[in-house]
Amino acid sequence: MNGVIFEHVCKSYGENMVVKDLNLSVKKGERLVLLGPSGCGKTTTLRMIAGLETITGGTLKMGGQVVNTIAPGARNVAMVFQNYALYPHMSVWENITFGLSIQNVPKDEIKARTEKALEILNLAGLEQRKPNELSGGQKQRVALGRALVKQAPYFLLDEPLSNLDAQLRLQARTELVKIHDLFQPTLVYVTHDQVEAMTVGHRIAIMNQGMLQQLDTPDIIYNHPATTFVASFIGSPPMNLLQGHFREGALWIAGSRIDPPAEWQAIFAQHPHNWVGIRPEHCVLSDKPQLRGEVELVEHLGGNRCVHVRLNNDRQRVLCLIPGGETIPTGTIGLSFSWQHVNGFDGPNGVNIGHPDKVAYWRAG
Amino acid sequence: MRTDHGRNWHWHTLLWLTVLVQLWPLVFMISTSFKTMDQVFQSTLNPLPYPPVLDNYRYVLESLPLLKYIWNTLFIASGVTIAKVATSILAGFAFVYYEFPHKEKIFNAFLFTFFIPITVVIMPNYLLVAKLGLINTPWGVMLPQLADGMGIFLMRQTMRTIPRPLLEAARLENAAPWTVLTRIIIPLIKPSVIAISIVFFINSWNEYFWPLLVLSDKPAYTLPLALQMFISAEGGSAWGVAMAVATLTSLPPLLLYLVCQRFIINTFMQSGVKG
Repeated sequence: MNGVIFEHVCKSYGENMVVKDLNLSVKKGERLVLLGPSGCGKTTTLRMIAGLETITGGTLKMGGQVVNTIAPGARNVAMVFQNYALYPHMSVWENITFGLSIQNVPKDEIKARTEKALEILNLAGLEQRKPNELSGGQKQRVALGRALVKQAPYFLLDEPLSNLDAQLRLQARTELVKIHDLFQPTLVYVTHDQVEAMTVGHRIAIMNQGMLQQLDTPDIIYNHPATTFVASFIGSPPMNLLQGHFREGALWIAGSRIDPPAEWQAIFAQHPHNWVGIRPEHCVLSDKPQLRGEVELVEHLGGNRCVHVRLNNDRQRVLCLIPGGETIPTGTIGLSFSWQHVNGFDGPNGVNIGHPDKVAYWRAG
Repeated sequence: MRTDHGRNWHWHTLLWLTVLVQLWPLVFMISTSFKTMDQVFQSTLNPLPYPPVLDNYRYVLESLPLLKYIWNTLFIASGVTIAKVATSILAGFAFVYYEFPHKEKIFNAFLFTFFIPITVVIMPNYLLVAKLGLINTPWGVMLPQLADGMGIFLMRQTMRTIPRPLLEAARLENAAPWTVLTRIIIPLIKPSVIAISIVFFINSWNEYFWPLLVLSDKPAYTLPLALQMFISAEGGSAWGVAMAVATLTSLPPLLLYLVCQRFIINTFMQSGVKG
């Protein structure tokens, strides 16, 4: 049982509480991504697992043991730091073997593990180089190598790809997933990049202002965000959140009357003030529109175009993705969407009110 | 542009004048060491002795136990340097990486020692050394100089520039504090350690007042003390010989400084460690 369990964990610096009542469990061998905007507490959470931050309240368990007061060195975790933290005065070989050498691992064993890591990470031939003679990608791989040779059951990564360019990042995250599959440690990965989170994580924990917003698989998070924050944070372009009012058996958005299906009517009746969430790719140009608005801007996104539409009689804006080959719309246009893809959120607290069976559907899928 | 040129020109003249004023005693010392006694009094301020003579150096090397004095000075300067560097590094390490009660107050107390003039502490130090029976021994000279406020301050400042993740990575490997210090911190701050070592060494090499009080027997003298034998009531005014000894005394620190100039300047300009 090598999982990590947070039970009501809090962390504060003086008056400032940066992690609030965190309940989170990472399964053994899982890749869990902590995702959120800057300052949301994700790195602090990771550092609490490493033991580099003390815990103000609650219990942290690793491998079934409470580790609140266990020193970082005794937790058997391997960590890759954001700036790699390679020792500038040591060669690649020395950097990778430093930890093993001070733990008195036999020399043959050190050599075997390091050579294997160098081979996996494609670093053979660079053993004698100093970190300042390496490119960003190579440094990142050395940092990964240093963590790999430790063969620790817990692998912690703090934005390990943030210093790489876009192309290298894509390559590195694929390698990372392969390496994880090879050794299968319990991996906790911090990032603010949603694409990275989606591609690396078995599950994603989304945090905001020190609180866990949602913990689920990438599919469910994308298709069924728990809150308006998650809905607007995940996806690029983000989900459209339209202010809706339910009255007289119909939903009113920007002065337009929309008739929802019966199951939605029952939900909206309980939440008359609400937000209607529709992903831009589920908004289509239509002759029988549910919404009407003026085209404000068209962005080219390579294969697609993102049309910014300002709704009539309102200041709300809707984003709509259309295939690149289609005629670029101008002037007033009509938009429609399928109720199958809609997420409803409660107006005052922003919590998802959509039908629960949808989650079951996504889980099954 | 014109104004800039004008301003630079003035600054340069001023700087050159300052350099000349600073260098003059050195030039005077070296030129006098190559003069006969007659030349010393006839052309006192002439920086170019004619003809230059090596009599003074010959006299110094033949009639003085110069090697003994050099050994005495080297022994004390090395001992003081090693002790000060060791205590500065250890104290700096504790101040940067450990949390203990009254940390800031203790650190400020160390800083405060900068501002205490040596004359204030000389009496108690002398009494202490005398009580321990260390008068007239190199240990007596070294004992009150085993730690240095400025060294602690400089080591602390330098260690603070080491990126924290480097040390956190070591903590995750369960590295003992001694391993962290010797295998990570010291290699990273090596230039600064070399720089303060040189400063400590030169200061100790040139020290006059404290050894003068502690060392009274001639065989125990250090070079600066040997120097005074030629310009005191005891030795008369053998200026040429005195300047030859002075030149020989200042040569090692000068060479040391020239070789390691880069480290010293970097340390005082506060260089950082790149992660």
